[in-house]
Amino acid sequence: MYEPGRVCMKIAGRDSNKLCVIVDVIDANFVLIDGETRRKKVNIKHIEPLKKTLDIKKGASRADVIKAFKALGKELKDTKPKKSTERPKKKKVKKIVEKAPKKAVKKEIKKETAKTDDSPKKEASSVENPKTETPKIEVKEAPKKE
Amino acid sequence: MQHKTKSRTFRRVKVRTINGTKTTYQRRKPKVGTCPETGEILKGVPRALPGKMKTMPKTHKRPERPYGGVLSSSATRKKIKNKARELEL
Repeated sequence: MYEPGRVCMKIAGRDSNKLCVIVDVIDANFVLIDGETRRKKVNIKHIEPLKKTLDIKKGASRADVIKAFKALGKELKDTKPKKSTERPKKKKVKKIVEKAPKKAVKKEIKKETAKTDDSPKKEASSVENPKTETPKIEVKEAPKKE
Repeated sequence: MQHKTKSRTFRRVKVRTINGTKTTYQRRKPKVGTCPETGEILKGVPRALPGKMKTMPKTHKRPERPYGGVLSSSATRKKIKNKARELEL
């Protein structure tokens, strides 16, 4: 009953309700399956054998299973293992170093702007014509407030 | 008297305080999920209040298989077995 090439339906687990083929018999209780499911060692109790069989040798690869499954009219995805990529550790350290001076620069700019904002207000209240004393930028701000 | 305290829709919980005990009122838990075919209690389905269930991820709320959270595992096996035997390839 459970020999390589036998089409089965998975009954238990998250791959249940999916078709598979027995690729290899490991034990009296366990077989290796592949197909719509993941390539996996499963207990015989977790699969239901069907009448249909496929032409597959013992220990067939994933590519052979994909070819054989076309006889059933089903196309399978070819799964490839992901390439391992290195973690970008160095970049993280650089960012922290760059952030610190930026904040300091911003604070300084704010302080400068605050100082400049204070000066025209006092002058506008105290002195009536600030054109002679203050630079060009401060002259532009004064008429808006009035 | 409040409706909350009069009826038994809310659960009464005694809380210890410095002056003695105080009764507080909390929502009752929802019923346990059961399989409609076998009558079993569904495993992997939490008895949390609907507000808390909203914040949970999907994988925490039901087992990850066909009919998960609706039928028990034994009922799904029977159902899929019968489906497989009638299948024509």
